[in-house]
Amino acid sequence: MSIYLDHNAGAPARPEAIAATARMLAGADGNPASVHRTGQRARRALEQARAQVAKLIGAAPREIVFTSGGTEANNFAISGALASAGKRRRVITSALEHSSILAPLGESETRGFEIVRIAPDGDGRVPPAAVIAALDDATALVTLGLVNAEVGSILDATPIAEAAARAGAIFHLDAAQAAGRIAINAHQPRCDLMTLSAHKLGGLAGVGALFIRAGITIAPQILGGPQEAAMRAGTPNLVGAVAFGVAAEAAGAAMETERARIETMAAAMLAGLRAGIPGVRLNGPRDARVANTLNLTFPGVLGESMLIALDLEGVEVSMGSACAAGAVEPSHVLLAMGRSAAEARSSLRISLGWNTAPAEIDAALAVITRVWRRVSQAEPLGAIAIGAVR
Amino acid sequence: MSARVLVAMSGGVDSSVAAAILREQGHDVVGVAMRLAPEPERRAARTRATCCSHEDFEDARRVAERMDFPFYVVDLRAEFGARVIDNFVGEYLAGRTPNPCVMCNREIKFDRLWERARALGADFVATGHYARIERGSDGRFRLLRAADASKDQSYFLFSLTQAELSRTMFPLGAMTKAEVRGRARALGLANADKPESQEICFVPDNDYAGFVERRASGGQLRAGKILDSNGNALATHSGVHRFTVGQRRGLGVAAGEPLYVREIRPESGDVVVGPRAALNAVGLTAREVSMVDPSIRQAGPIRAEVKIRYRHPALPATVTIDSARRAEVRFAAAGPAVTPGQACVFYRGDEVLGGGFIERAIEA
Repeated sequence: MSIYLDHNAGAPARPEAIAATARMLAGADGNPASVHRTGQRARRALEQARAQVAKLIGAAPREIVFTSGGTEANNFAISGALASAGKRRRVITSALEHSSILAPLGESETRGFEIVRIAPDGDGRVPPAAVIAALDDATALVTLGLVNAEVGSILDATPIAEAAARAGAIFHLDAAQAAGRIAINAHQPRCDLMTLSAHKLGGLAGVGALFIRAGITIAPQILGGPQEAAMRAGTPNLVGAVAFGVAAEAAGAAMETERARIETMAAAMLAGLRAGIPGVRLNGPRDARVANTLNLTFPGVLGESMLIALDLEGVEVSMGSACAAGAVEPSHVLLAMGRSAAEARSSLRISLGWNTAPAEIDAALAVITRVWRRVSQAEPLGAIAIGAVR
Repeated sequence: MSARVLVAMSGGVDSSVAAAILREQGHDVVGVAMRLAPEPERRAARTRATCCSHEDFEDARRVAERMDFPFYVVDLRAEFGARVIDNFVGEYLAGRTPNPCVMCNREIKFDRLWERARALGADFVATGHYARIERGSDGRFRLLRAADASKDQSYFLFSLTQAELSRTMFPLGAMTKAEVRGRARALGLANADKPESQEICFVPDNDYAGFVERRASGGQLRAGKILDSNGNALATHSGVHRFTVGQRRGLGVAAGEPLYVREIRPESGDVVVGPRAALNAVGLTAREVSMVDPSIRQAGPIRAEVKIRYRHPALPATVTIDSARRAEVRFAAAGPAVTPGQACVFYRGDEVLGGGFIERAIEA
């Protein structure tokens, strides 16, 4: 059996989500838009899920629009906000963000929006002062991640939210990696839009949500029927939404105990790696970081080799992002933090989650240390050209 | 526990069947596809049947799924650029005609990939090459031609050392191409009838000259004159990298009899042409000579059959190797055009003794 330490890519479904999925598939589904009683039951289930998701972030149920995932929610937030931006042409983001934020912003740039990409500090934190300094009365949107997927840094969102409100800009927080891990209230600090993803907290992939604060108007992006209060057309993914709801409820209820457990395990992992691998370096802030995420630079080895060797030994971690061909690319987050390409190529992300067990940490620690020793001897970095590819 | 074997997979039928055979034999197979060509060239080549494309990787991945072994894409672009492409460009600029497949085998598949294999805990590297490895009663490894003479690829493998052969597997060495395709069909592999790649994988549209021009800086390109054997200028040309010794077409020179490139002088930019008969060399010198069994080198001149190109019959010759890893080859009868930069490989019957890279022809 493999040891799964890649929760930031996707958490295994929680037992509550699996049970709810089985129940729905066994005959409790239907189209919430139908008039008949099956439809009515479906509608009740959908609305219950909406309430459960809303509760996790202190929102009202009507502020939640279900989407096909975090990527659609981020695209919706950006395109929807900019469609009604009027004369405001500036967008503020950071160089650390997920591709589902950076790619639509790149597209907006070609249509005449000015994209300000704030540089993070060396620990992967976006300095609020730099964001606030960039805010002006031409700013349409501030879009930032609450928790960074690669290094786990937590954004100091309060001063940014306040400044965005003063400037009249829409404030969008991508909370896909934060929800279920840290306490969140979408109204405190005040967010206008917030992205959520089900499978990061133990729901199913293929469903997410966008929180849209009551009173905020953004343009729907998927047009058709009047579903989701006319904000997102299409028959909703009822099974996925129900699983999302129960997973959100379970994650919320267990948050404090899980956080403490994960913090203890992650600390043991870090201490063990430091003892066994001289020179291993933690990327990301020491404080203001979610405990589950350990991004580490391993001295003298290629991360790609470590990743594959660990997989062959049954320890599953990740590195940067996968390209279309399935090869790994160095993390754009580490590069934005000022790490060299060589350092980024020597880095791996280990991310724990709700079902990680202490025995797995002990076993993984032994495997990682052994594999690092083998890889660093067999494939010494000094002899390998790892510069930029021409 | 069974040996772990790292199989280099291109997505083609040969390496797929090689991996499948090893898996059926019970080895702990790990499939890898190598990203080698730089991105702009890959994009340019995407519509063509070259290797290293996304579709090829997916073909390899499907074989791994069907045969139930792990598969990964590994990024060796930096090493391939530094050790194979830069060499390829440099050779053309120096007026020679390189063989990048030989370099890729020497530098990447059986060197750099072996480091990776060890890092992954593998004991062997396997490929879909058509060639055989045998271990003699004296414990020495021998590299032999494939059973299928029409597919034999031992020419490209001459630089393999005893240490490399000891950790290498060629599962297809005893099979014909038809048998390989038949095996692929029997195993239900989707790429059983996939056409072979013929071109150099990193050069789009087989346009070597254009590739060299894109990779070289302008000052490195050596334009000059086309001269006849008496030194008379017949025409001008835009770079020596556009010519290969023995080439007939595309000279841009009209003459009564067919003219061939006899010699390329990169320092002056002169390209000397002459009639067919002027090309026949009696021998050649080679550099970077290596012997599969190094003890042979000390034994003085050796009789061998020498291949001076991949698709060329082996010629009887005498080979003398000096201590600086250089060799002088004398053909038993006047040979054909000798192209500097190509590999020359020494055979004795089916056995590869060694080889090197052609430096220049020895004229009569």
